[in-house]
Amino acid sequence: MANLNIKSKQENTYGAIVIGSGMSGGFAAKELCDKGVKTLVLERGRSVIHNKDYPTTNMMPWEFEHRGQMPEDIQRENPVVSRCYAFREDAAHFFVKDQEHPYIQEKPFDWIRGYQTGGKSLLWARQVQRWSDHDFEGPARDGFAVDWPIRYKDLAPWYSYVEKFVGVAGFHDGIPQLPDGEFLPGIELTAAEEYFKSVVEQKYPGRNVISGRCAHITGNAEYYAKQGRGICQHRTICQRGCPFGGYFSSNSASLPWAQRTGNLTLKNHAVVHSIIYDDAQQKATGVRVIDANTKEVTEYFAPIIFVNASALNTNLILLNSTSKRFPNGLGNDNGLMGKYVAFHNYRGGVSGEYDGLKEFTTEGKRPTSGYMPRFRNVDKQETKFLRGYAAGIHGSRSKDVNYSGTGADLVKNMMNPSYGPWRVGSHMMGETIPKESNYVALDTDQKDEWGMPQLKVNVDYDQNDLDMIQDYRDQLSEMFDEAGFKNIRTWDDERRPGLDIHEMGGVRMGHDPKTSLLNKHHQLHTCPNVYVTDGACMTSTSTQNPSLTYMVFAARAVDHALKNQG
Amino acid sequence: MNRRLALKQLAMAAGGLALIPSCDFSEEKVLAAYDELQITESQQQLLQKLVDTIIPKTDLKGATELGVHNFVLVMANDCMSAEEQKQFLGGLKGFDDYTKKTSGTRFTKMDNVEAEKTVNAILEDKPTSDDEMATKYFLQTTKKYTIQGYLNSEYVMTELMPFQLVPGPEFNGKKEIVPGEKVNING
Ligand SMILES: Cc1cc2nc3c(=O)[nH]c(=O)nc-3n(C[C@H](O)[C@H](O)[C@H](O)COP(=O)(O)OP(=O)(O)OC[C@H]3O[C@@H](n4cnc5c(N)ncnc54)[C@H](O)[C@@H]3O)c2cc1C
Repeated sequence: MANLNIKSKQENTYGAIVIGSGMSGGFAAKELCDKGVKTLVLERGRSVIHNKDYPTTNMMPWEFEHRGQMPEDIQRENPVVSRCYAFREDAAHFFVKDQEHPYIQEKPFDWIRGYQTGGKSLLWARQVQRWSDHDFEGPARDGFAVDWPIRYKDLAPWYSYVEKFVGVAGFHDGIPQLPDGEFLPGIELTAAEEYFKSVVEQKYPGRNVISGRCAHITGNAEYYAKQGRGICQHRTICQRGCPFGGYFSSNSASLPWAQRTGNLTLKNHAVVHSIIYDDAQQKATGVRVIDANTKEVTEYFAPIIFVNASALNTNLILLNSTSKRFPNGLGNDNGLMGKYVAFHNYRGGVSGEYDGLKEFTTEGKRPTSGYMPRFRNVDKQETKFLRGYAAGIHGSRSKDVNYSGTGADLVKNMMNPSYGPWRVGSHMMGETIPKESNYVALDTDQKDEWGMPQLKVNVDYDQNDLDMIQDYRDQLSEMFDEAGFKNIRTWDDERRPGLDIHEMGGVRMGHDPKTSLLNKHHQLHTCPNVYVTDGACMTSTSTQNPSLTYMVFAARAVDHALKNQG
Repeated sequence: MNRRLALKQLAMAAGGLALIPSCDFSEEKVLAAYDELQITESQQQLLQKLVDTIIPKTDLKGATELGVHNFVLVMANDCMSAEEQKQFLGGLKGFDDYTKKTSGTRFTKMDNVEAEKTVNAILEDKPTSDDEMATKYFLQTTKKYTIQGYLNSEYVMTELMPFQLVPGPEFNGKKEIVPGEKVNING
């Protein structure tokens, strides 16, 4: 018996374990495997193999029974995920349905999830703006959360490293709060956006409109061919999975790369229940895994553990990892784990029309749009609210189709469309302030099907967010007005937190073990062989999309873990 | 999910059924394919005539030829709320009686010209009673789905307004419009 155990322990021992195969876990796995470490990736969802498991990728619009729309009964049964714009007939199979994995909304929170190989990296909108010192110095300057233990200079080389692998289309714009990166050819703005840019940059010094940097391959084909990926074909149906590998996903890029090293073991249907802490050795020794189908429990062992289950699930796993030494969750001596959760504020929008530039339209499709980097409180505090917002900016030429009449008249009307005005629009991406009162915790009674406690979510907007929404609406409509746009409409759609899909925090980084959970290398202060490099580690949220930065953290932390392995 | 699969298979069968002239309407079975709607074959045929009135065959293919009437029923069955379905069905089931009452002829008995005139009149009218409201809602919704099904059909999207699944890497944000050039809504 004893021998058997030793044998199974040997068979289940790896050089490193990565929990989660999504955006951040996939990159951690790639780095570990590249450096020769036998790596086990544990993924709770099913296997999704690049190009084999993209059932809708080549479907024509007319082949969808409801032309994309989700049937009424599915929407009724799934109010949360149905609010996500990408939960449509072509990609619904990559989203978690509400009933499948319940959680407790002590306050309304739309938790949008993808449980499968690749996680949400299959579904994302691929916007990859770097963060800057304006973001990393924010908490210290403005006196909230805690000081980040890192600065932009710590990350800059890693941003370059990750961007080169991922493939990022963009222009060198020279904007201090949005550092330039390693860019493939950028994707041009439309005539209306170009025009808006010229108005803004002339009338509002310090404000810019650029083409959003996106994780799409637009050049250097030979280099990416080595990854098995090709140039982006601008299909703009990326959420189905891209047969060309034109956009970055774990499935098309990092995981196959890791696989080719021969060092990767990827186990699907492996629900990580908790991390095992050994009191005698005073370190984490492995993880406890429940088979999603059979519910059988298996233990796996490794000297290095990366937790990349996506922000809130990482909180859940760590809080659930209790031991004599850590009765309140692994590394949670200060009781702050699960607290200071924050997110992005996407509630505000503006739209309008432009009657000029009548001689132009656009041709083809593009996988990005215009982007206005944060311009509020950049160098100093200027408004009554803290921090600021970035804005998506898009302008496209409308096509007027006349649907009036019936019979032969209708056919004639419909088949002779004309060009209408340019339609211009914007959405905000605001920074929210992490607060102790925005937290997640484990429910002590209700468990899920696999015996994990359900997560309770307590996250809400505050007055700072509402003031920011108002300012965004005022500023954007003023700029639209300056540009001569007509029929300007602004709104606050009052969406719930979570729908931004940029939930962050709960296991924040910091200098001091009393006020933070992770050190500057993403190690738990009190259990340093456990690393957290997904959204859970974020001390503050910035206004830029976060996923590029998660991958940068993963690459940098793997480097640290291997250099400091004793 | 099984219901949907059954529905898909039956929808195809029902499309075939419509071609078989049915003589006895007294004991009509409801069409299993549209289980939420509980409609009969003759109601389906009425809808087919309506869809063909909205988009008839011209020098282009008509809506029925493209199976758009089935699409309308699939959407009504799957994508409408219970309240919307109630109105839609009320309008559909009472449509023949309604047209008989207002213009003296049942819709199913009308020739094409009269049918189109009747439909246009209802679409333009301001409804005053519940009956009229349901009828107008039914027509508007049918027109909406007919147009959607037609414009998104393989025929339109390959032959009339071509759609490209793989447009290629070129994007021109400032293309000069050539006057007179046909505008493609899927281009
Ligand atoms: C529609 C949409 C648009 C988006 N747009 C953007 C964008 O433009 N830019 C941007 O930066 N971000 C965007 N995002 C967010 C982005 O997808 C996420 O930030 C990113 O995927 C997070 O990476 P992750 O590795 O932390 O989590 P995920 O990619 O979600 O991966 C986590 C993985 O862990 C697995 N897992 C969870 N719990 C367990 C467990 N207990 N045991 C084992 N495995 C577990 C999950 O199944 C999942 O596969 C978007 C997301 C969506 C859905």
